[in-house]
Amino acid sequence: MFKIKKLAVVLGACGVLASSVAWADVKVGALFPFSGALALLGQESYRGLELAVNEINAAGGLNGEKIQIIKADAVDPTQAVSETKRLTSSNVAAVFGSYASGISYAATPVTELAGVPYFELGATAHKITTRNYKYLFRSNPNTALYGVSVVNALHEMIAPGMGLSPKDIKIGIIHEDGPYGTDVAATEKQRAAELGYTVAEVLPYSAKTVDLSSLILRLKGAGVNVVLQTAYQNDAILYFNQAKSAGFTPKVVIGAGGGYSLADTAKAVGPGMNGVFDLDFPQSSINPAGAPGLDKFLEAYKSTYKSDPQSGHSLTNYVGAKAFFEAMAQAKSTDADKIRAAVLAYKKPGGQSANGWGFDFGEDGQNKASTFYVMQWQDNKLVTIAPKDLALGKPVFNK
Amino acid sequence: MDIFIQLLINGLLLGGAYIIISLGLTLIFGVVRVVNFAHGEFLMVGMYLVYLIATQFGVHPYLGLIPVAVILFALGALTQKCIIQPLLNADEHIQIFATVGVSTILLNLALVVFGANVLRAPADLGTHAVMVGTFTVVTGQLITFIIAIVLAVLLHVFMHRTYLGRALRAVAQHRYAALLMGVNVNTVYCIAFGLGTAFVGIAAGLLAPQYPVFPTVGTYFVLTAFVIVVLGGMGSLYGAVAGSLIIGVVDTLAGYYIAPDLKEVVYFGIFLLILVLRPNGLFGTSTE
Repeated sequence: MFKIKKLAVVLGACGVLASSVAWADVKVGALFPFSGALALLGQESYRGLELAVNEINAAGGLNGEKIQIIKADAVDPTQAVSETKRLTSSNVAAVFGSYASGISYAATPVTELAGVPYFELGATAHKITTRNYKYLFRSNPNTALYGVSVVNALHEMIAPGMGLSPKDIKIGIIHEDGPYGTDVAATEKQRAAELGYTVAEVLPYSAKTVDLSSLILRLKGAGVNVVLQTAYQNDAILYFNQAKSAGFTPKVVIGAGGGYSLADTAKAVGPGMNGVFDLDFPQSSINPAGAPGLDKFLEAYKSTYKSDPQSGHSLTNYVGAKAFFEAMAQAKSTDADKIRAAVLAYKKPGGQSANGWGFDFGEDGQNKASTFYVMQWQDNKLVTIAPKDLALGKPVFNK
Repeated sequence: MDIFIQLLINGLLLGGAYIIISLGLTLIFGVVRVVNFAHGEFLMVGMYLVYLIATQFGVHPYLGLIPVAVILFALGALTQKCIIQPLLNADEHIQIFATVGVSTILLNLALVVFGANVLRAPADLGTHAVMVGTFTVVTGQLITFIIAIVLAVLLHVFMHRTYLGRALRAVAQHRYAALLMGVNVNTVYCIAFGLGTAFVGIAAGLLAPQYPVFPTVGTYFVLTAFVIVVLGGMGSLYGAVAGSLIIGVVDTLAGYYIAPDLKEVVYFGIFLLILVLRPNGLFGTSTE
């Protein structure tokens, strides 16, 4: 009995020694909502990171070291904080995340205090990068740019295409009342005012509402003919259904990502979705000529997950993760300050990444060279219509 | 004036769906004395079943709701028998946690089985709007409202004119006295819970043409249902109907005249006011 126990202890010790002597892995944390209400796109976002890591490991790893992902499930901001604490005490070189702004905003103070770099790959709230953090970096554009991009698209392309001049247009801005919707709506309103448009109504609503009929009656009463909406999936579907029932048919509807970019939304709304515009992260349906590496990404996605990407989030996270890993490789160290220096020095012009984004990080860690692309629903498919070298179709104007 | 009447119509019809959900909830609370926090998740299960029946067998949700109501009756009775029954003599908080547990399990089970995708049951009848004079009425909402009133009347007749209904009311009044009178309390509990969830199954079928289903859909309706049930008086059927109509109308009026994001503030405010004046709700009676 004693002999067996001794043997077991010795074998155990050998096992531990063997695993620790194995290739010194670089550990990184992945903080996403893997369960709960945000799970669909949280999972989709994580896949982009995973594909980037698989690609780098297959090519030899980060400076010869294999990257090991430690997954952390953050269903809500509270869990995000506890999970991030777990990650930072597991000696990760960096934390990647997080799809949802609430999660990112809650988790980043933890990593900043611990001196661990946090690479944000998809959350858009502007306020995430306004806290003067040294070790927070974001590859995707934020809500400050979102509203501006939406109104610019209206001003430069959509209104002229529809034959509408600013004085013909009455804008109604409707948005879900969380940080995502509120941020985008605020910048939309500001930009519209700068360009001289009339904003007739700004109406926030709860994303969990089951009835938007009163809101639609308000828009109707104000004579709104251009609707700018920032919505998740269910409120977008609800808006379209109830607008149809109420006979409210604005000339132009522009969404800012969220539910407007999802195939399920178009399926649930039906043919009424055609003609609707949407600005969002690049989807995988962009012109590969302007996005080298896109085809390789799509192939890898299909063979790993046996389906097409569910949304643009995987591509967005993939491109951001690859850029950050390249910067980490250039830093040649897991020291947070060296990583910061490497990220700030990492510059790439547009048209060289798998979704066409360039990279140029400011002092606040925000990538200034990533943008939102303009898309339109045509034949129940989301077609990219701008920027020019990434477009796969032309806008359709139903006058 | 036109807009006001349109809002009134929208509000009353919105109340229709809430009537059915609240009737179920108040029945469960009134008889079994358990606050069913899983009520919204039973609605979600019902909506998924309706979706499956519609896509696999091509049956319209309005017909599909019949088997769904039966299945949910069984599910509710089972929940009562296996989960709530053993805990009947325990602290009330334990019973609440049990229903919260059921809610969490159902929600995450749906997430695992169906994914977080939004699924819409194909339905043509019920999705259109018709013009009644100068006012628009969504056919689906009108049908829901009519069926809700019919159900409320049927339930009233059941509770007052049948033996089983009287037994339910007896158990609601005093469990031990009913037991002494020869009522099989455990069976009554199962029937009450089952009826409550069956109602939610009917609501699921009626809501399907207007709302797509996804794992958290129950949470969108259930909070308001709780407000209605407490507002109307827990255990009171009239209260559930009155509360639903009041909340529906306040919802649409506040959404238009004040602001869409302040709707909840208004009806929660009214809710608080009514509770201060009548702590047992509009039609509630103080019970032991």
